[in-house]
Amino acid sequence: MPVFKVPFNGYSVKFSPFYESQLAVATAQNFGILGNGRLHVLQLSPSPANPGQPISEISSFDTADGVYDCCWSESHDSLIVAAVADGSVKLYDLSLPPTANPIRSLQEHTREVHSVDYNVVRKDSFLSSSWDDTVKLWTVDRPSSVRTFKEHAYCVYSTAWNPRHADVFASASGDCTARIWDVREPASTMILPAHEFEILSCDWNKYDDCVIATASVDKSIKVWDVRSFRVPVAVLNGHGYAVRKVKFSPHRGSVIASCSYDMTVCLWDYMVEDALIGRYDHHTEFTVGVDMSVLVEGLLASTGWDELVYVWQHGMDPRAP
Amino acid sequence: MAMRELVSGGAACATSGSSSSSNPLGSLANALLGSSSKTQERLREIPTSTAIPSDGSASVGTGEPLSGLPGSELDHPLQPNAQGSEFLRGFRSADQHGLADVWDEIQRPQVNFPPEHVLRQPDTNGPPQRVLSSFLHSFVNSSHGGIPFCPATLPVLGLSAGDKQCIRDRSSIMARHFFADKSEDFINAQVNALLSSLEIDNDIRAPGPAFKRYQELEKYWHETHGMRPGPNPADGWVAEFAQHPVGHGDPSTWVQSFEQEHGANGWASEFEHEHAQLASMDHIRGATMPHLAAMEQTRMLANTLAQNNDPKFQNSKFFQFVSKMSRGEITVEDNQIKPATLSAPGDWATEYQQQYSGGQTWADQFVHEELSKGPNGWVDEFASERGHVDDGWVNEFSKLHVNDWAEEFGRQVGEGTFGDSSADNWASAYDEYLNEQTALKQQSESSRGVYVFSDLNPYVGHPNPLKEGQELFRKGLLSEAVLALEAEVLKNPDNAEGWRLLGIAHAENDDDQQAIAAMMRAQEVDPTNLEVLLALGVSHTNELEQAAALKYLYSWLRHHPKYGTVVPPNQPDSLYYGDVATYFSDAARMSPDDADVHIVLGVLYNLSREYDKAIESFQTALKLKPRDYSLWNKLGATQANSVQSADAILAYQQALDLKPNYVRAWANMGISYANQGMYEESIRYYVRALAMNPKADNAWQYLRISLSCASRNDMLEACDSRNLDFLQKEFPL
Repeated sequence: MPVFKVPFNGYSVKFSPFYESQLAVATAQNFGILGNGRLHVLQLSPSPANPGQPISEISSFDTADGVYDCCWSESHDSLIVAAVADGSVKLYDLSLPPTANPIRSLQEHTREVHSVDYNVVRKDSFLSSSWDDTVKLWTVDRPSSVRTFKEHAYCVYSTAWNPRHADVFASASGDCTARIWDVREPASTMILPAHEFEILSCDWNKYDDCVIATASVDKSIKVWDVRSFRVPVAVLNGHGYAVRKVKFSPHRGSVIASCSYDMTVCLWDYMVEDALIGRYDHHTEFTVGVDMSVLVEGLLASTGWDELVYVWQHGMDPRAP
Repeated sequence: MAMRELVSGGAACATSGSSSSSNPLGSLANALLGSSSKTQERLREIPTSTAIPSDGSASVGTGEPLSGLPGSELDHPLQPNAQGSEFLRGFRSADQHGLADVWDEIQRPQVNFPPEHVLRQPDTNGPPQRVLSSFLHSFVNSSHGGIPFCPATLPVLGLSAGDKQCIRDRSSIMARHFFADKSEDFINAQVNALLSSLEIDNDIRAPGPAFKRYQELEKYWHETHGMRPGPNPADGWVAEFAQHPVGHGDPSTWVQSFEQEHGANGWASEFEHEHAQLASMDHIRGATMPHLAAMEQTRMLANTLAQNNDPKFQNSKFFQFVSKMSRGEITVEDNQIKPATLSAPGDWATEYQQQYSGGQTWADQFVHEELSKGPNGWVDEFASERGHVDDGWVNEFSKLHVNDWAEEFGRQVGEGTFGDSSADNWASAYDEYLNEQTALKQQSESSRGVYVFSDLNPYVGHPNPLKEGQELFRKGLLSEAVLALEAEVLKNPDNAEGWRLLGIAHAENDDDQQAIAAMMRAQEVDPTNLEVLLALGVSHTNELEQAAALKYLYSWLRHHPKYGTVVPPNQPDSLYYGDVATYFSDAARMSPDDADVHIVLGVLYNLSREYDKAIESFQTALKLKPRDYSLWNKLGATQANSVQSADAILAYQQALDLKPNYVRAWANMGISYANQGMYEESIRYYVRALAMNPKADNAWQYLRISLSCASRNDMLEACDSRNLDFLQKEFPL
């Protein structure tokens, strides 16, 4: 299956919600500790110039600091939001030449922006979460944030919009809590002390809007029902190091993909007893980005600090030619 | 808190008769708990009919609006206020201009503002990426398999305060992710090792809410214990920790050794230790209570969590990258954290940095080195002077040297400098070396004096490579400086200063061939440049090319504004050593405070092997220029030549204190140890020098010899294949 080499360390990969062959990759030099960043937009087909390479680059955008995350707009097929380590959130329009990009640079966070997530219901807004402990709500047409959510006591590593409710999102923080928010409310509506260690990622079940998964430095993934959050619905153990990202399948309600500092990508079915249904150890450095295609069932993408982007079908070997 | 109570209270007042709970939490629960049919019901109730603008912004108007997200269940028309509307109504009545308004307001058409073009050009003028990149890489990879991070002495990278803050904050935060198995002690040690080796001040404090809390604690601590709020206690702890040569990976080992160190202090030291940890924690600007709890947890976990024995981790880039690190002139040191004491930005431009080391020790055990070198040099000089090579003469000359060498060798064996077995090893190594040299001879002869440019040069196209090169040189990044300066002389082949600096950079990097080639180009462009002439004189002295050395030293004197009168105006056809020495003695009498004259005199006495006089000259010069690191190196080399290797090591140490990246001094240090029969020590210094500059061919040869002498034939293969990773692991300094 296809593999693509990027010059910097991969940080995040996202399939386009519009085209099954497009994906965006956020990268940062020197592991994001210091240096430049680059946002790549890749196409799952050989370019005429280089027919041997199964993935070709449509476009790339340089930044003065690492790009930690990116997300596609849900309303415009050419719009990408990037989370940049210099604290800015940048918007890129693929249909415009690189010189006209980014079309926005939103500079409000005082520290590294670690994630961005586009609202899938109200397709006009997105969230950014930052190491300045805050989450900010933005819309594409406003020069400043609509709201700032400041409650977490430490870095906020990720946010995820509820797939069904336009105003509800979850946040995962290094303060060992996940929080549920309603943007119309002044404060978080639920505090989930989900792990004993930093929580690096969270995501909502796409078929059950009360179910959320959290991934932690404690190597585990926990699945929670927000209606009864005293005990987790499931605890998924199997990663050997901190779990960096967790993602629910857009096609199967109980399937979860995760990636970890143990360099693997794992697939889980939290409903069954032997939850671990797939493990891929194709990366040779920390695996920090994973995504599942909305348009093609079972299509996975991952990236890591080995500067490689893999795209493969579940059940296949990502490294198979 | 108050805010929250206030708002939820307000909501409760306003929503009378609502079936759902009226506080925000209830509202959310409602939204979350509600079945989809319930949601549909509420949808119909909602009076608002705000439509989602299909294209809110002119600047992003190119995509076709999608009616629904493919694959999602959201095919129904979108109603932004679909749920929680009861609450929302109540909320609005309580606070008309509240957050809900803002959230809804974004639906209304916005005044478009022009797109911003704020992309800063990627900062390519930042710190040298290769150096930093590989350094950070080793830090990150130290997490694989729990290898303690062994930082290297780094050159001044010119990191801005912002850069440093980035490195400090980001590495602290990230370290807590990938060292999940390790105790907090370990993580702090790793981060602090990184920071201290990058000379990042642990006192740069990032703002954060937790910091204040800690300050109070610190104040309390100081008050109650009558301690001075002196330097950050964490620093002390870190330094102390760094000195422990124990396995940092195992917290229990650490604790043990800590107790050994602090013995009966028991509780106090323990508390201090905690305190220091807290201080370190603070550096990540988030010493929140959850963290402290997590810290405890980590400790407990650390003992139970198994080490990852996956070969994948062991084989990760950690080892591969050590070799890349060498390109960046950094190396892994032993478990010691040695913050680099770096040379102050000196007046490099006025200093004479050209000096020598290596080959001069031929008078000692390494005579054989010069054996093939010497003739080469002679032949070359001869060829360049006469235009052709007289083979017969060369052969004769070589034989002469072989005899000298045999004598010398015999004498040393007789004195018992070599052990019996080591002599054999050494002899066989020498044979191999000779064969190699014979093979290389043709090649080196033809290429001698021709400057060889690097293949891939990232500085080509740089707007001002000279300035960049000067800056890199000043920072001690010699290999990088060489690249930048090469770009400069490619751009401006007539820039004498570019060539001169390039030559000096090569000389300091222990590459005399390239140094001479560059200096000759500089002299072509500017035949009277004093610095160039002196540098050439020194380089040729190093190569034992007396005639050439005398020629350049003579020219130096003649073109010097002060001493031009000392020498006869017409350069004689052949220069005699004695005459030149006399001229310089006169010059030294004229101005005894001119360090340069004393330096040249020292060089001249080296030529005549009057080492005591040479040492005296250099010591005089050092009184005038105590911070001239190259001068310390010259003194060391001379002392080594006069069989005062122990003194030489002290002099080299001075040079290295002033300039830690001084490859030549590292190599010379190795030679001095080898001269004293301390081969194991010498190997470490050679490897260190080679890690900084793998192109230093002489040092490879010295290394090979020392390996043979130390009976480390098992490492010869690594030496021959120039496998620095392996060597560095085997011989850490």
